[in-house]
Amino acid sequence: MKIPAIEIKGLTKSYGDTMALDGVNIKIKKGEFFGLLGPNGAGKTTTINILTGLVFHDEGFTKVFGKDTVKDFRFTRSKIGIAAQEFSVDWFFPIEKLLYFQAGYYGINKKDADPMVNELLERLGLSEKRKSRLRQLSGGMKRRFQLAKALVHNPEIIILDEPTAGVDVELRHDLWKYLKDLHIRGKTILLTTHYIEEAELLCNNVAIIHKGKILKEGSPQALTKELGKAGITINTSEINTNYKVILANYKYTYENNRFHFSVKDPDKSLPKIIDLLSKNEININSVKSTKSSLEDVFLNLTGKGIND
Amino acid sequence: MNWIGLNTLIKREVGRFFSVYRQTVLPGLITSALYIAIFGFTLEQRISEIQGVSYTLFILPGLIMMNTLTNATANTSSSMLQMKLLQQLPDLLTAPLSGFEISLAYIIGGTVRGVVNGVMVLILGIVLVGMPVYDLVGTLIFILLVSWAFSSMGLLLGQLADSWDQLSTMQNFFLTPLSFLGGVFYSIKMLPDWAQLLSYINPIYYMINGIRYTILGISDSPVSISYGMALLLTLFFTTASILLMQSGKKIKQ
Repeated sequence: MKIPAIEIKGLTKSYGDTMALDGVNIKIKKGEFFGLLGPNGAGKTTTINILTGLVFHDEGFTKVFGKDTVKDFRFTRSKIGIAAQEFSVDWFFPIEKLLYFQAGYYGINKKDADPMVNELLERLGLSEKRKSRLRQLSGGMKRRFQLAKALVHNPEIIILDEPTAGVDVELRHDLWKYLKDLHIRGKTILLTTHYIEEAELLCNNVAIIHKGKILKEGSPQALTKELGKAGITINTSEINTNYKVILANYKYTYENNRFHFSVKDPDKSLPKIIDLLSKNEININSVKSTKSSLEDVFLNLTGKGIND
Repeated sequence: MNWIGLNTLIKREVGRFFSVYRQTVLPGLITSALYIAIFGFTLEQRISEIQGVSYTLFILPGLIMMNTLTNATANTSSSMLQMKLLQQLPDLLTAPLSGFEISLAYIIGGTVRGVVNGVMVLILGIVLVGMPVYDLVGTLIFILLVSWAFSSMGLLLGQLADSWDQLSTMQNFFLTPLSFLGGVFYSIKMLPDWAQLLSYINPIYYMINGIRYTILGISDSPVSISYGMALLLTLFFTTASILLMQSGKKIKQ
């Protein structure tokens, strides 16, 4: 079996009486786009901070490409680029210089870092601001700089802590596009987010974390199928046949010529139901299908919405 | 060792204080020039020579030492606290840099600032009042050792402090009084016996008298004790600051 890019096992962490992580297990394959989905305070940032060496853990371990992140920190940290949620503030140097410093910390001298620094400043629309200090940048630019800083040493694994928090819609879509590009280029990406849409759009796999525990893990599609409930609403003309016999295998409600079916997979069920009703001479006036999302999954698992 | 990483962080630390030289290099020079002007042109005529040298000359080595050690301490302590408070520290802690390498880079950065400030006041003394330097190599070694020792101490304080208030408390209530009471402006032989005894437990007293010996050839205590004390402080604070950094106790959760 291939060594996972990231392996977290039995990870616990408490702050005084508060249990921040309660036995977290996660495996992320090389090249995977993985989302850690949970509300604020669920333990997302604590997990990645332990992985990157910012926080001590109590029990368990975190490994990167099979090596322990504490014992083999030089190896594991060199593989990871992290874009933290909180902006760091530097008053002293222009952003271009900060990128060279960042590369230097990872053992890359200025000459070797040159192409990457230029490419990142260009791609992330920061070229014109390269001589500016961080305080002179807008919020969106600071967010893009965070990403540039994470990528400057060309890491195999990119960890993004709420990368689109507080950015406008346009920039959010631009960042998503860039992250997809990075993924296509073979990067392993671990993203923490409390935006459902972000996880559904970008991730191959997600883990839902709540109160320091992973509640469920899988692809957004599989999780939605397993735990989400979708609805199909069909309005019909007057019905003279005994629909109860025809629809014995389905979960539905019927009232005033309106059926509402509760199904797991509307893509599969919808044609079958239409077929069944048509064959039995029930006239269909309109059909409406509502797809289930990770939001339903989250609701099912925790009993409340992600942003509640 | 991550040599490029170490070198980068040293460059950052040195570049940081040079980029704000009006705060970090010029003040010590201006203050020292003012001391020389005030004592040299006004008070010196009313104060008799001390151990055979004029009062301005007598205080100059102490001014060099004060400037050296306060700047060395300030560089590491403020840079570390700033890193903590402005969320810059994670950039270092998530990089493949060991606690030893981070400490070393900080200490070297602070040492450079201490040496730059000390040497500039030394040059000022030579240029303005023709200060003779009895042992230039010894003087430079002293400036270097004291810079290193107090730069390490600053790194320790910067890690321990959680706010600017705490840091300035340590500096204003301990470092500044100890510097002034270390005999910059007087020979401890002018003090009553009990105050002389107190001076002996003040490490800065040995630093000031050490450099006074290497510059003027006069001292209240044997120069070997001053060298020994400077080495001892260097070893103690270097070890303590590195061990605390490696443990991560004050910089990680």
